[in-house]
Amino acid sequence: MGRRPGRRRRASLKTGRQRVTKGSLIAAGFIVSILAGVFSYFLPAIQVALRDTGQVNTSLGGNPQLRPVSANENLSSSAPFNLLLLGSDSDAKFKGDYLTQSMILTRIDPATKRVTMLSIPRDLWVRLCNGSSGKIDQAFLHGGAQCAIQTVENDLKVHVDYYAWIGLQGLVSVLNDVGGVNVIANNPVMDDYYPADLSGGNPFDYQRILVLPGAQHMNGTLALEYVRARHDDAYGDFARSQRQQQILIALRAKTRHLSLVDIPNLATSLGADFQTNMSIVRVSGLLPIAGSVPLAAITQVVLLPPYTSSVHVNSQDALRPNWSLIRPEVAKFFGATT
Amino acid sequence: VRRTLVLFAIMALCGLAANRSLAALQTRNTAGSLVDTTSPQIRLPGTIFVSQDGAIYAIAGTGVRRLPLPSGGEWIQPRALSDGTLLVIRRFNQYSDLYHVTTSGRVLARMSAGDQSIRNKTLQLDHWVLWPVVSPDGSSVYFATDSPKPAPGQSYEVDFSLWAAPLSVPLTIGGTGVGGGIRWSFPDRYTGGDIEPVPLPDGNLLYASYANTGKGTVVSVLGLQTGPGSAMVALTTPAQDCGAPAVAADGVTIAMVCTNRGQTASIEVATLVGTALSGAHVVVANCLCNSPSWSPSGDSLLYMNASDPDGNFGLWYIAKAGSAHPGAAKRVTDAGVNLDATSSAAWMTR
Repeated sequence: MGRRPGRRRRASLKTGRQRVTKGSLIAAGFIVSILAGVFSYFLPAIQVALRDTGQVNTSLGGNPQLRPVSANENLSSSAPFNLLLLGSDSDAKFKGDYLTQSMILTRIDPATKRVTMLSIPRDLWVRLCNGSSGKIDQAFLHGGAQCAIQTVENDLKVHVDYYAWIGLQGLVSVLNDVGGVNVIANNPVMDDYYPADLSGGNPFDYQRILVLPGAQHMNGTLALEYVRARHDDAYGDFARSQRQQQILIALRAKTRHLSLVDIPNLATSLGADFQTNMSIVRVSGLLPIAGSVPLAAITQVVLLPPYTSSVHVNSQDALRPNWSLIRPEVAKFFGATT
Repeated sequence: VRRTLVLFAIMALCGLAANRSLAALQTRNTAGSLVDTTSPQIRLPGTIFVSQDGAIYAIAGTGVRRLPLPSGGEWIQPRALSDGTLLVIRRFNQYSDLYHVTTSGRVLARMSAGDQSIRNKTLQLDHWVLWPVVSPDGSSVYFATDSPKPAPGQSYEVDFSLWAAPLSVPLTIGGTGVGGGIRWSFPDRYTGGDIEPVPLPDGNLLYASYANTGKGTVVSVLGLQTGPGSAMVALTTPAQDCGAPAVAADGVTIAMVCTNRGQTASIEVATLVGTALSGAHVVVANCLCNSPSWSPSGDSLLYMNASDPDGNFGLWYIAKAGSAHPGAAKRVTDAGVNLDATSSAAWMTR
């Protein structure tokens, strides 16, 4: 005669199930708690990523220039791509109407670890995205990153996959966050009329600056002075462009030490002074590549004469582009548009 | 209920721990202070003065001490005098001045007044004075200053030229030159000009001169002048892009930093024969190095080099650097210490 399961056994089974359920709930609670901790750590970076890809349109203080531009998401992680780096004097005297004092078209080939940087002179006289003619630094003023990209694409006959815009304070912050950069300053960089627009006083004031020559460590402020000064320089904006590329190369060396966990801190300090349409996955994927690019694999291009020539147009000093020379070079280094 | 609350608290702590663990993995970018991490890696005779974070430090034997100079500005570019005192530059945001100080940090004299804008509120009237060095006979001080320069509002031009003046008299640097001083060089405009003077025992002047190539670049050459205002003889080529000259006690062995217009540098040693360099050879290759200076005896070389993994600039030493078989480069300061790479070390025998 078999025995019917007794009440005690049923109770035991029930208790066992309860224990499993309770244990599962506790384990889930721990997992959720840990995930919450991880999520809260990456929250600043996630917010930036959402904002930058346009999923949350905060427009950074309502400035239409800084609205995100959607990116080409079809690129594989190993495919070469063109990145347009934009830098603006984002201090108080511009009241949000930013020009791009710096435009550097960069081609990054993750597979071959080769990088090419082309500085586009801010005074280049071109046809802007809205059909008018003007200096290329005004494209951003007219239509933000979208117009800057369109203008570069139309005039240089090149495709831009991504862009990244950074303001003055953002550059200082990111350089300080990585602990500064080591640079060999080419010559004494002096300027008695350097804008004193980051000190919080009158943004139209001047200050004197001097960057000594030779190998040295630069913090964010010193590096900004180095890349921004231009008045006492035989080559003015061209020399400044070369120094900007130099700082980017020095910054690349610093990214060797960075990893995914450094991104939230960078995102927090960049704040509203940075905008890109690259996803956080793309950015974090670039960090190890940037750090491993050897100096010899970096090509620097500056559009000195005969690529450009000085011209006075509409009462402005500008640079006339020699497209017949520029476009073949751009096609060679950055690929031609189809 | 209490058990449940404890459990929730432990869960919350786990979340916090996960958050802080990630934060702990962040890259740290901190450079140590010379005094806090005192313990030179090698013991050198005499006293070596270096600049870090705007202060002057003395390294003697196995100890390091900070000179208690007045606060304000940055104290840079120490130079040893034969009487056991120092010339030092005190640099502020808009100007700099030359000071004569003791090795215990007492100011003996302020030798220039670059802050002209204090009186007239026009900051372009301020001046830089940098790279001081005393002549071999001890009577004159040579230096670079951004005087003369155009009146405020007239031009953006501001370049260094080289001057000499009696060491016993305060410098009067104005918009048109240095009162009582002798102007040695006339810089190539808008290049940064002429810097780092080194008066030689034969009365000639060696220095780094920046020049516009006319091809989109500004480069540095080592220049030699036989008298104030005389034509400069280039000792190196524009392609070598050499600067930061340092002359050993023999007056002819020269150390210099050359970049070959690249993003790394080398330290080369050569012999000055008449108005030409000969026997140049590399003693430190492919480095982020700057500011060589010789030992008082002239056989050992000090320089700044960013070779530790964090990229901090330390003080390095090479014995017998002027010989055909220089010693191995050795770091003097601890790893992690970040010195002012644009200030060469001053080495005193005592």
